[in-house]
Amino acid sequence: MLAIKIWNYIKGYVIIRIKGLTLERLLNLALSKDIYLRNVNRLDSSTLEGTVSLEGYRALEEIVQKLGCEMEVVKRRGLPFFLDRIRYRKTFIFGLMLFIVLSIFLSSIIWKIEIIGAEQTPKEEIIKLLEENNIKKGLFKHRIDKEDVEGIILAELDYLSFIDVRINGVKLIVEIKELDIDPERVDSSYPCNIVARKKGVVVKVIAKNGEALVEKGEIVEENDVLISGVIESENSDEIYLVHAEGQVLAQTRYSHMVETPIVKLEKVETGNVYKQRGIIINGKGIRFLSGEIPFENYIEEVEEKSIFNFLGFEFPIKFVNYIYREVEVKEIKQDIDFLKQASKLEATEEINKQLHKSCEIISRNAIYTIDGNILRTKVTIETIEDIGKIQIISN
Amino acid sequence: MKKDMGRFKESITTALDLPLDVALDLPKIEIIGDVRINITNHKGIIEYTNDLIRINSKIGMIKITGQGLEIKNVLMEEISINGLIEKVEIIR
Repeated sequence: MLAIKIWNYIKGYVIIRIKGLTLERLLNLALSKDIYLRNVNRLDSSTLEGTVSLEGYRALEEIVQKLGCEMEVVKRRGLPFFLDRIRYRKTFIFGLMLFIVLSIFLSSIIWKIEIIGAEQTPKEEIIKLLEENNIKKGLFKHRIDKEDVEGIILAELDYLSFIDVRINGVKLIVEIKELDIDPERVDSSYPCNIVARKKGVVVKVIAKNGEALVEKGEIVEENDVLISGVIESENSDEIYLVHAEGQVLAQTRYSHMVETPIVKLEKVETGNVYKQRGIIINGKGIRFLSGEIPFENYIEEVEEKSIFNFLGFEFPIKFVNYIYREVEVKEIKQDIDFLKQASKLEATEEINKQLHKSCEIISRNAIYTIDGNILRTKVTIETIEDIGKIQIISN
Repeated sequence: MKKDMGRFKESITTALDLPLDVALDLPKIEIIGDVRINITNHKGIIEYTNDLIRINSKIGMIKITGQGLEIKNVLMEEISINGLIEKVEIIR
């Protein structure tokens, strides 16, 4: 129904009023001339109102004249009439076109560059770097190659662990993740805080620049501010932003748990073999002898033989041999002391991977618990290390 | 003779399970509640006022009485009427 309505609107229609005495005859004549009349309404004995298409109106005029009736147009509706009216409003049309063209034009330009995730690198630096490589505000979207942008940034900032460049509306969003970088490499002209990289108990604070916010013995959580780069003046309300520098030594703890079964299952082959043959057509297998496998525990091997292989083209039908080797499962009880040593070593190695290079180990502890068949080894290492990490203060 | 022919046609259509209105060229009158009537295969309008519409067809005159009757569509084949319908009569 909606489609018909839209079609009628595009074609244009008029609401007409016909006055006359032989209205039924008029209707029948209209029918025979294939004039499509809608919403025909009898107002009184000599008046009739109806809707007719623009084409139908011209045909109807002839009939009306022939029958000596009178016809008047009450309303004109539809696109042709609308266009007719609009023809005299050229400025309006011009404005409309200008609006559409401008919206398309303006929305295809980058208006903002946003950088997410930069904690140690100043955002201004990244934007400057992009500008040097001709990527700046006011550039057309299609002229930006996202991989190119990623390459430019990665070439300069090699300590990034993740980068994602995307265009969202009129914004160019650069999302990065940084690894910890050496303090020497940080550009000291930008104000920054020193925050905790890890949870720990503060042992010593040496603030070279900025205001120390933590004291000895205090417990700090990850991302707590240790040395602040925001300094309030004593004399006035003014705030100075400085590049905080310093060391915060704290006692931190690393732990790792390893679970090992005491009784180990080992599979030993007995030498009994059971074979089946099959065919594979286009990746789907058919087995010829699908009897029960006569072993309780077994290892399955599949050998595929293609019928022919010509210049890298593989025939889609292959022969397959299924080989089942019987195994005997043996329980081997391991020496607990040996196991303890091995799992302690394993856990310590795991922790060593996480350890910061500047750390000093003060204690190493291992706790063993036996739960049924499982030996749990928990190794805890306590260290003293610099837990400071630079975080740029953003505006 | 003509009557016999009609009966013959009718028995054939019933035997072959054909739709009657198509095979025998009869008008199809469809009434929806008391608000709308669609008549397919009509032969013109005889009278049209707000409370009475008479339509010619092969089987005679179809007389519709009601209130506020309005011809929604009128085509060569089909006519549909809106309004409060009270009575539909076929006058031979």
